Amino acid sequence: MSAVQWLEPRSLAEAGEVRAQRGAEATVLAGGSFLGILMNQGFLSPTCLLSLRAVGELRGITVRDGELCLGAMVTHRQVERDETVRRDWPALARAFGIVASPRVRNQATVGGVLADADYASDPPAMLGALGARAVLRGPTGEREVAIDELILGFYQTCIADDELLTEVRVPPAEPGAVYRKFRSRSSEDRPCVAVAAARSGGALRVVVGACAEMPQHYPDICALAAEGPLDGAMAREIARRYAERLQPLTDARGSAGYRRRIVAVEVRRALEELGGVGGETLVRGRQGGTLVRGRRGGTLVRGRRRAGP
Amino acid sequence: MSASGLDARVTGQLRYAVDAERPGMLHAAFVRSPHAHARVVSIDATAVGADCVALTGEDVADLRRYGCQVRDEHVLAAVARHVGDVVAAVAAPTPRAAREAADRVEVRYEELPAVYDPVEAVEPGAPLLHPDGAHSAGEAVSIGVRPLAGTNACHRFRLVHGDVAAGFGDAEVVVQRAYRTPSAAHAPMEPHAAVAEWEDERLTIWTGTQTPFNLRADLAVAFGLDEERIRIVGGTMGGSFGAKTFVRQEAVLAALARKAGRPVKVVLDRAEEFVTLNRHPSVIRVRLGARRDGSLVAKELDCWVDTGAYADCGPGVATKLGYAGVGPYRIPHVRVDALAIYTNLPPNGAYRGYGAMQSIWASERTMDVLAAEVDLSPLELRRRNLLRDGDRFATGEVMHDVQFERCLQAAADAVDYERDPRGKGLCVLLKGMQTPSRAAISVQRAPVGYVIHTAATEMGQGMRRSLQLLGAELLGCEPGQIEIAAPDTDTSPYDTRTTSSRTTHMMGRALEEAVRDLRTNSNERGYGEIRNEGGLDPDSGQGIASTHWHQGAAAARVTVDEETGKLTVDHLHGVAYAGRIVNPEGAALQNEGALLMGLGTTLFEAIEFADGQVANANLSDYNLPATGDLPTRFTHEIIEREGADVHGLGETVLPPVPAAIGNALFSLGLDVAELPISAERVLAAVDARRERS
Ligand SMILES: Cc1cc2nc3c(=O)[nH]c(=O)nc-3n(C[C@H](O)[C@H](O)[C@H](O)COP(=O)(O)OP(=O)(O)OC[C@H]3O[C@@H](n4cnc5c(N)ncnc54)[C@H](O)[C@@H]3O)c2cc1C
Repeated sequence: MSAVQWLEPRSLAEAGEVRAQRGAEATVLAGGSFLGILMNQGFLSPTCLLSLRAVGELRGITVRDGELCLGAMVTHRQVERDETVRRDWPALARAFGIVASPRVRNQATVGGVLADADYASDPPAMLGALGARAVLRGPTGEREVAIDELILGFYQTCIADDELLTEVRVPPAEPGAVYRKFRSRSSEDRPCVAVAAARSGGALRVVVGACAEMPQHYPDICALAAEGPLDGAMAREIARRYAERLQPLTDARGSAGYRRRIVAVEVRRALEELGGVGGETLVRGRQGGTLVRGRRGGTLVRGRRRAGP
Repeated sequence: MSASGLDARVTGQLRYAVDAERPGMLHAAFVRSPHAHARVVSIDATAVGADCVALTGEDVADLRRYGCQVRDEHVLAAVARHVGDVVAAVAAPTPRAAREAADRVEVRYEELPAVYDPVEAVEPGAPLLHPDGAHSAGEAVSIGVRPLAGTNACHRFRLVHGDVAAGFGDAEVVVQRAYRTPSAAHAPMEPHAAVAEWEDERLTIWTGTQTPFNLRADLAVAFGLDEERIRIVGGTMGGSFGAKTFVRQEAVLAALARKAGRPVKVVLDRAEEFVTLNRHPSVIRVRLGARRDGSLVAKELDCWVDTGAYADCGPGVATKLGYAGVGPYRIPHVRVDALAIYTNLPPNGAYRGYGAMQSIWASERTMDVLAAEVDLSPLELRRRNLLRDGDRFATGEVMHDVQFERCLQAAADAVDYERDPRGKGLCVLLKGMQTPSRAAISVQRAPVGYVIHTAATEMGQGMRRSLQLLGAELLGCEPGQIEIAAPDTDTSPYDTRTTSSRTTHMMGRALEEAVRDLRTNSNERGYGEIRNEGGLDPDSGQGIASTHWHQGAAAARVTVDEETGKLTVDHLHGVAYAGRIVNPEGAALQNEGALLMGLGTTLFEAIEFADGQVANANLSDYNLPATGDLPTRFTHEIIEREGADVHGLGETVLPPVPAAIGNALFSLGLDVAELPISAERVLAAVDARRERS
């Protein structure tokens, strides 16, 4: 039985050096909320842990050239509560704020959730819809990759063994981006279906998470939105096509067939919210401690629209 | 309370079984079968290392079969009957070294055919788990067990009341339905843990157990020792809910300590918890006949109760499930047939409610189906048929202190049922208490107050607090002046066990006797003992099922997102009859806890198996309810009656929750017959309703 070697660099430069030298042999440790479970369950027994917790440079939340820059070691809870994020990227604050429980959000990090590439996570879909890029830093310098280039499959990313994910850059968001997390089980569960929808530079981006090995984004279907107003009919059509195209997986949160139906409903609802289409918006949030789950007009009336444009 | 005035659970002073330590102790890890049914061909433990001790078949060749109701368990399995069955064990200087050494033990298996469903397991040709089952049942001690020879049924409970064929002949309306419930995990925060030590051929075990005396008796059988040579010391448990009953980790641990010649400790990990003891899955078929006016005339209940690889208390669970399914109603003709059935799943045992939830879910859902057929409100249908004081239950016993109508009405009123029943559901229940049983307690004077010795165990339910409050009232002192000694079979008087919501009821009365005795013993020492006599004949279901009844009800109000099937419980209300409340705060907490556990059972909880292997053996994939899952309104009440006895209420409001929520859905035309009521199942019910109309 051998003790695990513990490496705790104090700066990004030092961390980068250690990473370059030790490569895959040293397992990068951020919040440990994912790694801890794997280690407890015996799926992973690292001989060496490279902890990033003492690297101050990875903890910043800043705005540069209008872009939000989140350090890899920023916790979910910090994103959720940051004033700037809440004001200018509210849907992002929401996507991080709806992960699991405060206990987990205080531990889990921006870098960790992207690097673990779990198919059933919340933030990746939202970051994808907002057109965010991850910064990967290796011995020869930095590169920027989009979220759909970063996540390659189940628990797989394009991060090389000598690279660290250091930052995530989120372009300025147009108002009204939407994140919807559909949980089929407990309120602390991971999503069964996640839908993120945003407009950037006039183009619509809809990303569906938790249904396949990586977040699903279909630009050709999203392009339909350029052909007319984002009204109820458009929302339904895009949703229908997403549901048709997607090859959902089956897990304890729902069968493939069930997920397909939920995708049709949740994408439509997300677009209705984004387009300001009235009627079926679910108000989910907490007010003064009690859960408010209202639905305008009580029972659900399909296709009811707000009068006017 | 500690000196600081803070709860010892908060300051960390309270010691649990996971904290127990003995000088020089080793740590154990178990080698478990990866197969659901396999004969152990050979075990090679030579690679475990010099500082480790390995326990294999030959080390336990002298030990006998044991089991609380059927002697069908071996200290180590020569034939593994479920994934996770313990086939060998290792002791090492640290827990981690033990785990690593256990992984180095090579076991060769010959796989056998397996069966995972209780209905399939009693079909002809199903693989038999215990071919000599009938023989071992003959040795059973605690209840009359009726195995069906040559099958996987280790017990058959039957109840016959009136003439059910004639009853259905009289019925003007008959409904028939089948229901399923899955396996579930108790999921106590503290896992199973214990330390075993031998000294002068005497065995001592420090463990978290609800059943110190039953554990001692079973180990005495296994090790061929007089009971007095075994001492069980129980500590406070970090939750149990029925999981820490009878022999669990203790037998292997004791055998390992015997071989090691040193104390050995084990703490199971979370995944092991899922193969140690779970809740009985069930299939229940209900047939219910009534007159047009809604008066019930006949009921048939056929129950397939999956007890897993070993019987444990499955016969008792099948019995209780069987008669609880009759419900608190006057029905002239009843037939119940409940089988406890072996399958190649981990053993199933006591789980808060002891089988009652499964059959109450089935029966009370059927009541609403019948109500729709006879065009009566589900509330009115129940009212017309409820048992009242002096009525005879289907077991032949006469009912006293009957409060079903009060409980039901209180539940209905809480959700304003009579004004508008849409989206609302009700459930009323009857549940028995362990009968026969015996409880004894002693009180001893101490310099600043009194010490109470009892084998009743604390698992977070507040047993100690209740006894302190009762004792203070009887002895005329402050609750803080009464010390409750830890349960210890060497010094505590006998108690059947801390299960079945019986402790406050039984121990409370024993304590009254003990205090009376103390008064006649110059205030130095007193002893009190209470027995409740009775029991049911397993072939006819006649006799005394329970000397005191747990009575309760629940009501739910729900809304459904009909596009996704997502269910929101807007209001959940539980009602328990308490007779007289001893500890108001504790009683409220018990009710809330039971309701919340019922909510998990209803909405989320199911152990998923793939070829007998648990597919969700962790608390991320196995969903327990979280704070955010609380119904928008979450209320309960406890009904008292002047001059009444103390009634137990640790379990009462769990069993009615699934049916109350299921009936609320049914009021919207959504018919779900299988637990948990997942969003996907609700959506399927929405589709089915659309197809019907
Ligand atoms: C109970 C529970 C519930 C959860 N529910 C949800 C949920 O509802 N929604 C959701 O989205 N998520 C959920 N999660 C997942 C949680 O958000 C992830 O565990 C978390 O995002 C991982 O972050 P971490 O910082 O703890 O990563 P770690 O566990 O430290 O690391 C994760 C992986 O990423 C690698 N890594 C970490 N940082 C870097 C870096 N900077 N560069 C390169 N590689 C790196 C590590 O080597 C490791 O492989 C839940 C987790 C738990 C424990």
